[in-house]
Amino acid sequence: MSTPLLMTMLGAADQPLPMVEKLRYLVPEMILFIATVVVMIVGLSPNRAVRRSCAAVSIAGLAAAGAAAAFGPAFEGGVLPGLMPFAKVLIAAVGVLLVMVVTGTVDRDFEGEVSRGAAFDALRGNRAEFYAFALFSLTGLMLVASADDLIWLFLALELTSLPTYVMVSISTARSRSQEAGVKYFFLGAFGAAMFLYGFAMLYGATGTTALYGPGSIAEVLAARAASGEGLGMLATLGLVLSIVGVSFKIAAVPMHFYTPDVYEGAASSVSAFLAFVPKAAGFLTIILLLAAVGWHFGPAGTALPEPIRVTLWVMAALTMTVGNVLAVMQKSVKRMLAYSSIAHSGYMLVGVIVGPGSQAGATGSLQSNGLAAVLFYLLCYGFMNLGAFAVLAVLEKRSGGEREEIETVEDLKGLCRTQPLMGWTMVLCALSLLGLPPLLGFWGKFFLFTSAIGAGEIALVVVMGLNSAIAAYYYLRLVGAPLLESSDAGASFTEAPAPARKWAAVLSAASVLVLVLPAGWLIQRANNATGVRPPTTPMKASGGTADSASTSAPAVRAAR
Amino acid sequence: MTGLMGGWATLAAAGGGAAAHAAPGIPAPGAGSPIALLLLGLPLLAAALCGVFAATGNRSKLPAFTSVAALGACFGIALMLFLNWNGQPATARAFDWISLDWGAGKGQSFDAHFGVYIDGLTLLWMLFVTGLATVIALYSMEYMSHDVGLGYCRYFAAFNLFVFSMTALVMGDNLLMLFLGWEGVGLCSYLLIGYYYKRAAAVAAAKKAFIMNRIGDLGLLMGILSTFVVFGTIEYAPLFQMIASGKTASGAELASHWSVWGIPLMFAVGAFGKSAQFIFYTWLPDAMEGPTPVSALIHAATMVTAGVFLIGRLYPLFTADPALIALSVVAWAGVITALWAATIEMAIFDIKRVMGYSTISQLGFMFAGMGLLTPTGAAFHTFTHAFFKATLFLGVGAVMHGFGGQLDLRRLSGVMWMRGFGLVGIAMLVGSINLSGVPFTAGFFSKDVILAQAFTTPGTMIWGAQAAAWLLLLTAGMTAYYTFRTFLRVYVGPREFVPGDDAELLDLGRHPKGVSLDEWHAQHGHGHGHGHGHDDHGHGSDHRAAVRPDFDPTTEEFDPHPPGWSMKAAIGLCMVLSILAAGVYFMKPAVGNHGGWVAGMVGQSSAAFASPGEHHGGAAEHAAKLGTFLGYDPHKVMYYVSAGVGLIGILIAAFLHGPRGVWSLFIGNRTSAAVAPRADALANLFGPLTRAARNKYYVDEIYDALVRTPLRVLAHIFHILDQGLVDGLVNLCGALPRMLARSLRPSQSGVLQGYAVGMAAGLGLILIVVWVLMLR
Repeated sequence: MSTPLLMTMLGAADQPLPMVEKLRYLVPEMILFIATVVVMIVGLSPNRAVRRSCAAVSIAGLAAAGAAAAFGPAFEGGVLPGLMPFAKVLIAAVGVLLVMVVTGTVDRDFEGEVSRGAAFDALRGNRAEFYAFALFSLTGLMLVASADDLIWLFLALELTSLPTYVMVSISTARSRSQEAGVKYFFLGAFGAAMFLYGFAMLYGATGTTALYGPGSIAEVLAARAASGEGLGMLATLGLVLSIVGVSFKIAAVPMHFYTPDVYEGAASSVSAFLAFVPKAAGFLTIILLLAAVGWHFGPAGTALPEPIRVTLWVMAALTMTVGNVLAVMQKSVKRMLAYSSIAHSGYMLVGVIVGPGSQAGATGSLQSNGLAAVLFYLLCYGFMNLGAFAVLAVLEKRSGGEREEIETVEDLKGLCRTQPLMGWTMVLCALSLLGLPPLLGFWGKFFLFTSAIGAGEIALVVVMGLNSAIAAYYYLRLVGAPLLESSDAGASFTEAPAPARKWAAVLSAASVLVLVLPAGWLIQRANNATGVRPPTTPMKASGGTADSASTSAPAVRAAR
Repeated sequence: MTGLMGGWATLAAAGGGAAAHAAPGIPAPGAGSPIALLLLGLPLLAAALCGVFAATGNRSKLPAFTSVAALGACFGIALMLFLNWNGQPATARAFDWISLDWGAGKGQSFDAHFGVYIDGLTLLWMLFVTGLATVIALYSMEYMSHDVGLGYCRYFAAFNLFVFSMTALVMGDNLLMLFLGWEGVGLCSYLLIGYYYKRAAAVAAAKKAFIMNRIGDLGLLMGILSTFVVFGTIEYAPLFQMIASGKTASGAELASHWSVWGIPLMFAVGAFGKSAQFIFYTWLPDAMEGPTPVSALIHAATMVTAGVFLIGRLYPLFTADPALIALSVVAWAGVITALWAATIEMAIFDIKRVMGYSTISQLGFMFAGMGLLTPTGAAFHTFTHAFFKATLFLGVGAVMHGFGGQLDLRRLSGVMWMRGFGLVGIAMLVGSINLSGVPFTAGFFSKDVILAQAFTTPGTMIWGAQAAAWLLLLTAGMTAYYTFRTFLRVYVGPREFVPGDDAELLDLGRHPKGVSLDEWHAQHGHGHGHGHGHDDHGHGSDHRAAVRPDFDPTTEEFDPHPPGWSMKAAIGLCMVLSILAAGVYFMKPAVGNHGGWVAGMVGQSSAAFASPGEHHGGAAEHAAKLGTFLGYDPHKVMYYVSAGVGLIGILIAAFLHGPRGVWSLFIGNRTSAAVAPRADALANLFGPLTRAARNKYYVDEIYDALVRTPLRVLAHIFHILDQGLVDGLVNLCGALPRMLARSLRPSQSGVLQGYAVGMAAGLGLILIVVWVLMLR
């Protein structure tokens, strides 16, 4: 899987932009790819110091990619022209923390042997692959944000997902991880099959794989909607199949089953990775697909087509309810956080249903833009969820020569006294996940709520409110145990010998507090990133209806 | 004798409807001297310095010297402001405190400057506040010396903070400044009542004072907020202009607007709370738990008069109401308070509480004066009362200080004849004749102004003015009786005492049998200025733990401990001031012709008001409209009537409580401290009534039953409801997700195929839904 391959494939299609011109939008991905290659080689070095530079190289690559994205051009060829810089900077930022968290996951026993005098055997080490896979996955995630074609989208999604299957399997030496990896792979393949089928149907319905531009899916569907015949059965089925299939990535009902098992089986550090990267990919995909359809249906002309809206509505309501309700029952912290990540997907789906609101873009109202709320929430979620997982990744205890991670809520007791830094990180992140003002999570939820209210989705807001209340039940256990209870005598956890994890945890907790200050600026960025561009030229096929289309189509809005 | 009433406003108004009685527009304020701001700065600085002394562990009398110097300087500044004052209101601003606007319209901006508003009322109040504060700080220097150290610093820090707050209250140029000061004096009062914070009674009294005041403060706050809503400003100058124009901010006719009686009533509630008027008064007697100088300054002379000041400051608002509803309420609250408190005083034995109730009663007179349309009388009485009541309190304090905390008038007798207490006795006599209204004393003149106006004010303006006047006259007689009851029992008669049980104060006068107190002190270096060189004398705020074992009468004796130079100086100063205060009545007023200096000051302030009957008109014209005293002009006869009533009260006191001999004019019958046969017989005659009065009419118990008990019962009911109903509902809500989770749990079997089937089934269901929707 490499960029030249993508170039060939995409260049073959009848694209409005020549591939070469498109390359200038892919500088971050190319930087990451170079970093990946370097990591792959460096990780195999017999020199210990060189080997250990994998994490540093990864972080440097991510930082450079983030910088390139921040100063890169807006994607003129995209459905959401402003999306790319925002999403890629976000991916790079959270990616840096994720790489810090996954340090020291693999090869600990092997490195121990080596330091005790055993010979270094490149074939036995997993370091190079592990970091390379992490970077590949992040590269794929960035490519999702750059996608303007169904095939590109599919490949990017798979580039995001495939490395994670392996990462889960090799994250620990225990069979539980293997089992989780296998489960994850099979079910992931099942999901991929679903959305590939959906993509194929979309292609069949529209005759193109391009999402945006002359003759693209966006234009075909817009013209069809304008002519009053609706999206058509095939296109609708294709969209529904795609959305349901992609909802595997975001762990939404009904594709959520794998989540707790896989998160529990993988090492906590990898779970942190899984809780963000595929989820971000999934949401970006759903947003891109739906942006091609447009939020200009329904009675007010600001909603999705009814079947898709209902599908998403049901999925959102069920996802948050199932996630929160099952989280209540969990004793294992990791499973609890897995269910909580399901619930958060449900919250974010609400923003997707709302869409960009009436006036997205630079002049739009911040409170009514659902897509901006989703992107902002993704940012909040990325930091606060990562902090919680990082605490689990930092702390371990030895029992009978076997390393054990924090398992139950009981293990967290008295953490604020025994491990103040980790204890308070857990408290802050749990409170933020709960949405307690004035922490970051509150502002994330705040914009989701206001956008949903603005769009008139009151029932969904009520469901969301109830779910937030249920969520307090288990999040407060994560707060109470470290803060209020005293630790049991037997359980003494020490820090894992990977200081970067601790820093990742502390940075996450700090960002939960500090990012509140520029929250207004951030949501403004997110708002700018979600101006949906209307199809520019109506299709020649619908030729004469151009004028009537612009008048009768309820609201094909000027976004910029 | 009509001419007794003063005020330049007299000249303008001449009968007619109530609206015509409203003061003419108050002149717009000019630029005041910024030096006035020092009156706020100096006490605050002194308070901060006391904090520094406390932090550095100072154990000297430095806090007291600092305070006396700062407050003395304040008095000097106040005096200078007065002497340089041109009779016009003036403002000086320190900085813009709050400045908000949310629109360009009227009432859409809120401004409060940190500045001062200077007029006659302000200067009058500032002169006696800073003057008395200086004198009482001097007194405290010695009185509190047993507590040198942290407690001493704490005392003087709160003392200075109090003066700062009082200054803000009196001088502020807007209602927010007044509120700041109002709450500030409340806080300092709380801190100082609870000064002996290890004594449960003191802590309870402090809390009681604070809470009762909070209830009144609600009224004040509502008044301020309503003022802003209705008039769009809380600054005095524009507020007075708007009231003079007769319109609200929205252009409505003020005379028919609800606010014209509503807002004054809210302010009146605030004033009742701070000035301990009926139904809020119960905190003031308990406030006597504080150190006596505090009682003298805060709970007699200054803070408690804040309510009178508030009404005077807002008199244009109170008199804007054609029906004068709020002033009728104020008048009757004052009358009832005066009478009510006087009956209690006649029965109780604790001389400090007698002074406490007496303060309540006299405040009632002031409120009655305000309500019965003589702000001059009210302000004059506030002014004279401040001096003579401070004298009385300081005298009582000297007795308390010298007799081991003894305050029971049945256990003290002939104090005046004891060594070192002569000045105290004379001061008490001076204070008592003032309080009783003996002719040619300051108290006589000021009370007379109120009584005369009370009879003059027609019932058509203030509801039931005649009845109120008669009740006030009755109260004046009772005042004379209870005042001399205390004086004749405690200060004259056979020399006799039982020392009190305050170990700390007891320490000052105890010595072994056979050795005189002076010898004992000479031996042990425990000379005057006690608290120094005393080996085992506890220092700091935990002094109460460090006293010697209990007084043992078989081996020890107790000699009264006479006051030292600073206490004597303060008592003497207060005494002289209360005598001199009578003189201001004969000074030519700055405006108008009668009523003395105070009338001039009030006439040049927001409280300027043409009292009915003040203006010389035809006698026939007056007789038709105004009230009379049994057909005579009250202003002419009230001198003699009130003098007569006061003397009758004193004679009754002498007859019942006076010792045999010259000091009770040969009609007394008391033979020892405790035995006064006629008084006891009379008390027994009124058995249940006396007991009720002695127990303060069980008002505390009634409040307990009416307010506290229902609240407690309600709290228990709510607790049960909360436990059963609310918690039950909450638990039910909590159980629902768990039940739901239990039903969902089997889906998470961990089996791969099961998951795949679940996913496929979910997709199938969704597709069916979509299918149905598409077909619809």
